[in-house]
Amino acid sequence: MARLTRAIRWLRGLLGRVSDDEIDEELRFHLAMEAELLERGGMTRDLAVAEARRRFGGVVQHTEELRDVRGGRIMENLLQDVRYALRLSRRFPAFTAIVLLTLGISIGANTAIFSVVNATLLRPLPYLDDSRLAVLFSQNPDKSLPRFSVSYADFLDWRAQTRSFSGMAAGTGSSLTLIGDGEPLRLNGQSVTSDYFDVLGVRPERGRLFAAGDPATESASEIILTYDFWQRQLAGDPKIIGRRLRTGTGERTVVGVLPRSYDRDNPGVDAVTVLDPASIPGVENHAQHMLGVIARLKPGVTQAAAQADLSAVAGRLAERFPEIAGWTVNVFMARDEATRTLRSPLLVLLAAAGLVLLIGCINVVNLLLTRSTLREREVALRQALGAARSRLIGQLLVESGELAVGGALLGLVVAHFVLKLIVSRAPAGLLPSEIALDARVLLFTLVLAVATTLVAGLWPAVAATTPRLAKALRDGGRSSSGGIRALRARRMLVVAESSLALVLLVCAGLVIQSLRNILAVDLGFDPTRVVTMRVSLPGPRYNDTTQVQFFRDLQSRLEGRAGIDAVAAANTPPISAGGITTNLRLIGSARADGGKVMGPATAITPGYFRAMRMRLLRGRDVAWSDVKPTIVVSQAAANAYWPGESPIGRRIGFGPRDTVGFEVVGVVNDTRARGITVDTPLMIYLSYAGATNVARTMSLVVRGRGDAASIVATTRAAILEIDRTLPVYNVRPVTQVIDDSLGQSRLNTTLLTIFAMVALALAAVGIYGVISYSVTMRQQEIGVRMALGASSNNVLALVLREGGLLATTGTLVGLGAAYFATGLVQSWLFGIGRADPTTIAGTAAVLVAIALLASYLPARRAARVDPLVAMRGD
Amino acid sequence: MHPNADVLQGTLDLLILKAVSLESMHGWGISQRIQQFSSGVLEVNQGSLYPALHRLVKRKWLEASWGTSENNRRARFYKLTALGRRQLASETDTWRRFSAAVEAVLAVTAAVN
Repeated sequence: MARLTRAIRWLRGLLGRVSDDEIDEELRFHLAMEAELLERGGMTRDLAVAEARRRFGGVVQHTEELRDVRGGRIMENLLQDVRYALRLSRRFPAFTAIVLLTLGISIGANTAIFSVVNATLLRPLPYLDDSRLAVLFSQNPDKSLPRFSVSYADFLDWRAQTRSFSGMAAGTGSSLTLIGDGEPLRLNGQSVTSDYFDVLGVRPERGRLFAAGDPATESASEIILTYDFWQRQLAGDPKIIGRRLRTGTGERTVVGVLPRSYDRDNPGVDAVTVLDPASIPGVENHAQHMLGVIARLKPGVTQAAAQADLSAVAGRLAERFPEIAGWTVNVFMARDEATRTLRSPLLVLLAAAGLVLLIGCINVVNLLLTRSTLREREVALRQALGAARSRLIGQLLVESGELAVGGALLGLVVAHFVLKLIVSRAPAGLLPSEIALDARVLLFTLVLAVATTLVAGLWPAVAATTPRLAKALRDGGRSSSGGIRALRARRMLVVAESSLALVLLVCAGLVIQSLRNILAVDLGFDPTRVVTMRVSLPGPRYNDTTQVQFFRDLQSRLEGRAGIDAVAAANTPPISAGGITTNLRLIGSARADGGKVMGPATAITPGYFRAMRMRLLRGRDVAWSDVKPTIVVSQAAANAYWPGESPIGRRIGFGPRDTVGFEVVGVVNDTRARGITVDTPLMIYLSYAGATNVARTMSLVVRGRGDAASIVATTRAAILEIDRTLPVYNVRPVTQVIDDSLGQSRLNTTLLTIFAMVALALAAVGIYGVISYSVTMRQQEIGVRMALGASSNNVLALVLREGGLLATTGTLVGLGAAYFATGLVQSWLFGIGRADPTTIAGTAAVLVAIALLASYLPARRAARVDPLVAMRGD
Repeated sequence: MHPNADVLQGTLDLLILKAVSLESMHGWGISQRIQQFSSGVLEVNQGSLYPALHRLVKRKWLEASWGTSENNRRARFYKLTALGRRQLASETDTWRRFSAAVEAVLAVTAAVN
């Protein structure tokens, strides 16, 4: 053992290293000698040892410093640095608190937005090999319809004639009524081709899925349940497979249960049945768009290749069938499609959060520079004692790293709350329910912390250890030339952060005004105290006549009951992006296109305009007594289709072959029926009697006087009086429908505004810090000025001018950057240009005003300074 | 390397080099010697003495070896190298010029007063 120790010692000696033992021994010798000397001077032995130790200042500490000199071990240094940094943070509590808060908020904002990105954009779809899954749409470039549903006839031809896909399947939403013991239950269904789940790549949780190639007749009485429905409605019945369920259209056997992951991508779906082509009205018509189509790319086939293949097929079909002239096809990857509405706003918000972090880092750099000025003497002394520069930079980086890690931890807390805000404010169905701070998010936060350390810590560390030692020691920590140099750099930093803050402010300003514009839009109807709910009249129990009769009966029963003012129905809710867009024919039109147009149409029952408080401008409403279905058009449609003429008495045909059409009997005011931000649609309102075959499911609109709940209860009771098996669903006040449709823009606006406010606050702190520093640096100069007769107000103006100048410069730079940045939020804007001068001038003024405010405190301090004290420069 | 970067460091180095120029000594001895030579005016901060010694060894101005002290203890002795001797000469020269310059400045100030 002793031999080994000696060998190691010898080896160390060879390498030119002094071992720890030797250092200890040398220092112990010193202490012994010192103690002996003191003892000879008359001290007791114990006292002499203690005094020697005191004079030396602790053996441990010096051993550490000796290790420093000989460039000791990295881990040891790191631990020591961490301990030192912790001691240091306690020494500067205010500094530490501000830095942690700054980093916590800015890292937290990034972490929160990234968690959403992580849970949406970065997550694969719950299907096997989802990267090859594509979604196919009919598209009509002339009519700006990039994503239109597909006709069954097109689907069959696409599937037969393309070579790029290993499978292609179709599906559509359907409704199904489950008749049990209690009130009838309406199911949200899907009906799909039998190979749908094979193409999609789903394995059953229980039982089996539809057998591909199954003759549709065989699967016609089968039903597959979603996991959620199985758990929620059937209590997870273990013997579910083979169970028979009574539905509005006959008995069906449960053959399988879908996995839980299927619910995530198809929220709200209860059950899936096989698509029966015979149930599609006009199934052989290529223009009967009504299916969603998915397809799986063959290995090695790119999206572009598949698009080319399918476009060629669609082109041939469009030539052969005149009803789909001008129609072609779009191939989108399912992954991109699933996050289409989220991607661009999320990336914008991520960028905004990134800017906030950058501003936060700039502030931290500023604070670190200030502190390193205070610590210049300490650093100089350590360098004098031989500590290597790399060692000192390392130590300073450990210090900022420790702050960054602390900030990141705080950031996780902040992120938790921001995430809560996001989830609670997001409209239903926009975000998946399971957004969490998972491992990937934690990794992201860690990377942010490391990046922050390097970005915010490196420069101050390098600056602090730049050799100008003699000077620092001589000046006693008030190195003025280095201070001035640092001041110049810090002014530039403040200009940079002001400009970044302005970018965010301008974007937020534009977005806020857009939201205000959206809220101020005249809807064309009165949404207050109107409740909408869906009711579905199943065939074959209901036919054309009884469908109409149902609503007439309901109206006459309900209107006049307590709390109910008006009742009517339409095939879409008052505000919805969906609804029928159909081929119309303006009969007898002299237009160049022969009156063949495509436009939105809604089926309504009499009294709809009254219930919605719309204004009939000419003619009359549709009526129960009409012998034939009639039409009311919106003002915009009247102006577009029959400019300068009265539309009353004109006829409109549905579909290109209809040459008889229905008569226009009235004109109503324009509404925002297809979405608040969608330009006034050219609405055609057709009485329901003419559309019973396409609209078995209708939206009731009930205007009442009480609260929504009592309106709904009264309505539900009246419906059950007419038909005990009819469920009512999707019950929502119209004001809530509108709120939900604005949910995402409201959320985006809220987040962007919060980020901009944080950025503004950080910029203000930054300006305050630099102006305070500058005032301290210029104390002597200010003293001289005051001694020479400058008044307090002169000094105040001098300092304020400095702050104002920094902010103005930042504003000018920021305006340039904002010019590009506003392009990113252009799609969010409504009723306002991206270069709106009022917004730009307003936000610039706010920034400068805040900067002046932030400069005012140090300015006042400067103005109150005693010239004599200042000149002495203590 | 910044040989004249720092007054404190330079001065301590100079004093150490001078102290060991006559005979090789251990650390404690060096601190006592400096104190004696300066009639007690210069008290070497023991905390900076050992880092300085190790640094000078690293620069090859001093050589260290283990030996036995006057009271028969094991001690680390420091000895001036040839390189150290040259450094001592040049630093002594620099110091003299520096202190003469300071002296001159102080004399002028006195005259103004």
